[in-house]
Amino acid sequence: MTIVSPTMSHRRAEPQATAQAPTPPPMRVAVIGAGRGGTALLDVLHQIGTIEVVGIVDKIPTAPGLRRAQELNVAVYDQVSDLIKNQRPSLVMDVTGDPTMESVLKEQVPPGTDIINGLTSRLLWLLIQHETTLQTELLHAEKLAGIGSFAAGIAHDINNPLQLILGLAENLTDETDLEAVHAQAKDIIEAVKRTTAICRDLTSYSRRTSLRPDGLISVNGKLDEAMKIARYAVALQDIEIRKHYQPDVVVKGNPDQLLHVFVNLITNAVQAMEHQGILTLETTGVDGGTQVRVSDTGSGIPPELLNRIFDPFFTTKPPGKGTGLGLYNIKNVIHHMHGTITVESQVGRGSTFTLTFPEKTGQSVEGSS
Amino acid sequence: MSEFKSGFFVGGESCNGRVLVVDDEPDIRKVVRMTLQKGGYDVLEAENGEKAIEAINSGENRLLLDVIICDIRMPKVNGIEAIAYFRQNYPRVPLIVLTGFPDTDMATSLLRQGVVDYLVKPVEGDKLKASVARAMEQRELAHL
Repeated sequence: MTIVSPTMSHRRAEPQATAQAPTPPPMRVAVIGAGRGGTALLDVLHQIGTIEVVGIVDKIPTAPGLRRAQELNVAVYDQVSDLIKNQRPSLVMDVTGDPTMESVLKEQVPPGTDIINGLTSRLLWLLIQHETTLQTELLHAEKLAGIGSFAAGIAHDINNPLQLILGLAENLTDETDLEAVHAQAKDIIEAVKRTTAICRDLTSYSRRTSLRPDGLISVNGKLDEAMKIARYAVALQDIEIRKHYQPDVVVKGNPDQLLHVFVNLITNAVQAMEHQGILTLETTGVDGGTQVRVSDTGSGIPPELLNRIFDPFFTTKPPGKGTGLGLYNIKNVIHHMHGTITVESQVGRGSTFTLTFPEKTGQSVEGSS
Repeated sequence: MSEFKSGFFVGGESCNGRVLVVDDEPDIRKVVRMTLQKGGYDVLEAENGEKAIEAINSGENRLLLDVIICDIRMPKVNGIEAIAYFRQNYPRVPLIVLTGFPDTDMATSLLRQGVVDYLVKPVEGDKLKASVARAMEQRELAHL
C-alpha cells in the first residue's frame, strides 16, 4: 500500500475536520500595509490553517508584501475601502505605523469587525520578529547537532590522507631515487589539498544561514553539494546513487537553507536503507514550477507515523541519535519558499519525498557547482 | 625484499612474514606496503572485506598468510564483518585494525574478540612494524 502524507501545502486555509465537532470557518483577516511588517505578518498568518488572509493593501505598488501576496494567491489592493468592501474581513490588522490610519479604518470598517492597530499592532510585529529569529536559531541548532554525526566521516577523510602524507614523508627521508622523490612529493601535495577541501566544505556548511535576500538557486548543483556534505554523516560506499537531473532547474530561496534541506533528506534516506540500497535524486520542471524528488529503497515509514514525521521533536531514532527537528525545519524552509513537501512510503520498499516549488525567473542564479 | 605479485604471496623463505592489507583506499595500501616491504614483509592487498576473503581462500595464501591488517569502513563486506569471518575461519591468523576513526567502544569490542592492535591513522611506520612484529610473535605462539 502506498501512503501519501497530508501535503505540507503553503495554502492551508481549509478547516481541519474532526469527528467530534465541526471546526469553525477560518478567521478572515485583512492586512493593511505591505512593508516589512505586513510581509512578515502575511508569511506567518499564511501558515495557520484556521486563518485566511483575504487581502492586503498598500498605496505603494512596489511594496514587498504585495509581491509576496501575489505569490501566495492573496488578493492585492491599493485602496483600503476596496479591500474592506470586497472581502468583508472579520479582522483588520493595521501594520502601517501611520497614525492617521486609525481614523480611516474607523470610517470604513463596518461594526462587528475587529481592528488591531497602534501599540497592539507594534506588539504583534515584535512577536513575529521573535518567532522568525527563533526559527532561524532552531534551524542552526539542529544543523550543528547534526554535524556531531559527521565525526566518523570527517575522521575517515582526514586521517586517510594524513596516513598517506606520513608514510610518504617517512619514505622520503631515505629515498635516493630523484624521480620517486618528485612523485611522492606530488602525492603529498595532493593529499594536503584533499584535506583542506574537507575543512572548506564543512566550515561553509556549518556557518550561520546568511540573511541575504532570496535568490535563484541551481537545484542540481545544490543537490551535488549536499551529497558531498552528506557523505560525512552517512557511509555511502554501498549506496547506488542515481541522478535524473533536468538541466538548468532553478528555485528561489536561501541557498544555505536549501542545502540544509537536501543534506537532511539525503542523510535520512541513506539511514533508512541502513547504508545499502538505491538513492535516487530527481529534478524536473513541472507546470511552470520545479519538482525535486529524493527516493530511497529503505525500510519505509509505517502509515501510523506518516502524519507525525513533520511534527517538532518527533523521532524514531534512539535517544541522542536524532533531534526530531530535521523534517520540521525542512517543512518550515520549504514553506518559506512557498513550496510544498509530500511523502510517499511503503514499509519495506522505501520512501520518496517530493518537493514542489513555484516558478521563479528573472534573477541571477547562485549555488551552481 | 620479495617481489609482490597481485593475488598471491610469492615471497621466499627469507621474508619476515606475509601480510594481507585490507583497505578501500589505494593510497593507504600503497604506503602500508611501502613501509612493510622495507621491514622485510611480503604484502598482499585487498580493496574490501569481500576481496580479502577471496584472497585468503585463494591458492596457498591460507597456508602462507601470517598477519591481516584491516580497515573498518569499507564497501561490500566491511571490516567488522571481515574480521568476524577471519576470527571464525582463521582463528590463528592475528589481526590488526588500521582505521581512520578512533572509536573506543569499537576498539574495546574488537580487542576482546582477539584483535592484536587497534591502530588509528595516521600511524608511524615504526609503530606499524612493531605492531606487525608483535602479531608475528603471536602467530608463532599459536603454532606451538
